[in-house]
Amino acid sequence: MKSKWAGLILLIVVIAAAGIYYLVSSGNRVTVLDGYLGGEKIGLYEDEEVADILADRYHIQFSYSRAGSLDMVTADQTGRDYLFPSSQTTLEYYEDEHGRPLASEIVFNTPIVIYSHRLVSDALKDQGVVTEREGVLYADMEKLTQMMLDGTSWADIGLPELYGSVSVDTTDPTKSNSGNMFAALLANVCNGGETVTDADVAQVLPQLQEIFGQLGYMETSSSDLFSQFLNMGVGAKPMIAGYESQIIEFAVENPEDYEELKDDLVMIYPTPTVWSTHVYIALTEAGEQGASALLDEEVQRLAWEKHGFRTSGYGIVQGTIPGGVSGVAAEVTQVIPVPGYSAMKQIIDGLS
Amino acid sequence: MTLYYRFLVLKKRCRDCAPRCLMWGIRRLSVLLLAVMTCLVLGACSGGEENTGGDSYFAGSSGGETLRIVSGSENQELEHILEDCARETGVNIEITYLGSVDIMRTLEQGAENYDVVWPASSIWISLGDSSHLVKHAQSVSTTPVVFGIRQSLADELGFVGREVSVKDILSAIEEGKMSFCMTSATQSNSGASAYIGFLYALMGKQEAMTEADLQDETLKGEITELLSGIDRSSGSSDWLKEMFLNGDYDAMVNYECLIISANRDLEEQGRETLYTVYPYDGLSLADSPFAYVDHGDGNKEEAFLEVQDYLLSDEAQNEIQRTGRRSSSLGVSEENRDVFRQDWGIDVDRVLSPIPMPAADVLMEALNLYQTQFKKPSLTVYCLDFSGSMSGEGNEQMVEAMAQILIQENAERNLLQASENEVNIVIPFDDDVIDVWTAPDSSPESLEALYNEIQDEVCAGGTDIYRAAREGILQMTSGYDLDQYTPAVILLTDGMSNGDMDYDDFQEFYREEGVDVPVFSIMFGDAEEEQLEELAALSNARVFDGREDLIGAFRSVKGYN
Repeated sequence: MKSKWAGLILLIVVIAAAGIYYLVSSGNRVTVLDGYLGGEKIGLYEDEEVADILADRYHIQFSYSRAGSLDMVTADQTGRDYLFPSSQTTLEYYEDEHGRPLASEIVFNTPIVIYSHRLVSDALKDQGVVTEREGVLYADMEKLTQMMLDGTSWADIGLPELYGSVSVDTTDPTKSNSGNMFAALLANVCNGGETVTDADVAQVLPQLQEIFGQLGYMETSSSDLFSQFLNMGVGAKPMIAGYESQIIEFAVENPEDYEELKDDLVMIYPTPTVWSTHVYIALTEAGEQGASALLDEEVQRLAWEKHGFRTSGYGIVQGTIPGGVSGVAAEVTQVIPVPGYSAMKQIIDGLS
Repeated sequence: MTLYYRFLVLKKRCRDCAPRCLMWGIRRLSVLLLAVMTCLVLGACSGGEENTGGDSYFAGSSGGETLRIVSGSENQELEHILEDCARETGVNIEITYLGSVDIMRTLEQGAENYDVVWPASSIWISLGDSSHLVKHAQSVSTTPVVFGIRQSLADELGFVGREVSVKDILSAIEEGKMSFCMTSATQSNSGASAYIGFLYALMGKQEAMTEADLQDETLKGEITELLSGIDRSSGSSDWLKEMFLNGDYDAMVNYECLIISANRDLEEQGRETLYTVYPYDGLSLADSPFAYVDHGDGNKEEAFLEVQDYLLSDEAQNEIQRTGRRSSSLGVSEENRDVFRQDWGIDVDRVLSPIPMPAADVLMEALNLYQTQFKKPSLTVYCLDFSGSMSGEGNEQMVEAMAQILIQENAERNLLQASENEVNIVIPFDDDVIDVWTAPDSSPESLEALYNEIQDEVCAGGTDIYRAAREGILQMTSGYDLDQYTPAVILLTDGMSNGDMDYDDFQEFYREEGVDVPVFSIMFGDAEEEQLEELAALSNARVFDGREDLIGAFRSVKGYN
């Protein structure tokens, strides 16, 4: 009999505790936003500091599925609150496919760069393709593109240990943004350094097809390509196109690994380059909150200091570079605008 | 997990009517809590699921999450590390081995039964992840696909201490100086990578293989010739290594780490070790990505990250290097260089410059051509058990099995379709050979006719698997040039042999014939495994269970032939 009472008392205590828990937690509700995210921003999303700010100040939590910037436009959007691709083109693509989104906001920028190894950048310096100014490497895109079009082999430029011909590996330009941006850059270079318009596409497309045709299988995510670049050595990926943010994030997150790799690993700014614009597209009303949360001053600061994204407040770099990354340009000045959506669409179709 | 989920739903429902709902909510909560308490008392939902399947299981803690991993068989060598990992992290690990190309197919179909994919190379994830389920992919180690050639043969061929091309290897094969073992390109990464390397080398191209290139008649002749140099095949790399060790072959295409592992065994057995050749015009690199398949269970994701962190920790990475794998990005540490022995031709200082994989559609077309045209045609004798003990369920399962492989509509769905020149023979047996049915060709009609014969046969009498298997081998040796085919006898039986012939008689016959024909078994009914295992051991084959996963069993067998 006694134990029966004890059980009942225990039950009442548990119920009371649950009631209190319920009251407390209901004041702190967090809406989970689900959407598609470009792989290069996963680090930011998984950042607990960022997550805390989003939860405390904006009562939201991001959940995501990784998808290429262009892929996400055509992927199944049932139950998704947002898309977070890495280019303005994606937004225009979205508008073309689905009409105007509820809201869209440019959240960060990062320039397209080439990642390579010391061995390769030294050889390219000897060829006059790469030059160094104030500790920053720049690649003459006209010369580099010509080399790719000529089918120059690595052996021709003094690197017999590398098999095949000079190329920059990219993600699939028809599916993922960094590849797409690099295609846009090459298109402009092939167009005599002028931004490609609808009328120019037919003229530059054969050259683009030749360059991308050489690459064979292309990854669909920038983060996968970058980690393969890091993991598989100079032989597998002599040069890749990526975002400037990637190396900063890597160095901040893996200081010891960066320390070991930094003598070999180089970042080269194409001259000219293009900006990758990370634009947040809200698909639902709940999703709209995501934009203001990402523009939070604190989030923007963390975006630069931990993940390497240049934000409106951090366009010109002052002071030390996060992660102690060397070779980061204080300011990216030689930038060419990306072709408009309809020219880009023709380029994408031509490369499909 | 479901309880946690209900909590959330409950909160959501109450959001709009907080005060009025509160009492109701508490009532509901108390019911839930009671349920929780009952569970705790009864121990009925102690958290972790039971070990429901998989090839291996490592217990972490009884209340811990269970991660179901589907992995390339090459990782079988890392089981001791996974065992430590389970103990350290408290996460239970269940692992199933499949070829990487099969892992891609699993992923395409949603990989519902798995939380983690661990193929040999990233490409199979990117190709298979059409529904964007995969997250947190991280390379655990890297290892190149290489040729391991008997040391004395490598010396003789002049392959030691110099750069060797795929063409050099092709000449050795053409001149009849060398044959080799390789995994099936349509199932396993090492086979697929090597095959693509062969194609590039034969095309004389360094990049950008196109579909038009694949249609070239000269190429077709050359690649068929090259693949005719394959002695034996298998569905996954570690199985290939095991088969290699159990037999007597010249060479194998496999991962550097498995050549190292094979050499350790060979050395221990006092046998000749393999010399490692890195063909510079057809090299590929496996990066072993360990990746999470998101089915929306946050606890699993956390468990996954714990396990991944463990595998990437310095301690585990050191252990992984000791198995002959290179650490991603940092390579091989000074103290582990002794594992990568130079006298075996292993070269860790070499810049590994792999060939690019072709674009997805070209790659798929290349694999399709491998299956249907380029690979050595298979010569298969199916010995079907029609003894009394098979009648009923056993017979039904067996006939259904044959429908899956002989009716081409079914076969195609599982990439088991017949190739151009393959030969199919069916031998129904009881305590004697009942008949021998040979399909005149591999057309869908001929194979269906074969199936109809099988369907009409009735079960009666005793069982003699040995007599049937012997007849199978005699059919092969009397009618075919075995060098031109990948031969296999496949016994579909419950394996309770009680006829005139016994294992010793068969062993004597098999040794006298002196042919390398594997006798695989697929078990049905109340199968008795022992007799079948004996046959498999004798002929360097394997036994599969047709009752659990028939298609899996067939795909495995076909990987070998």
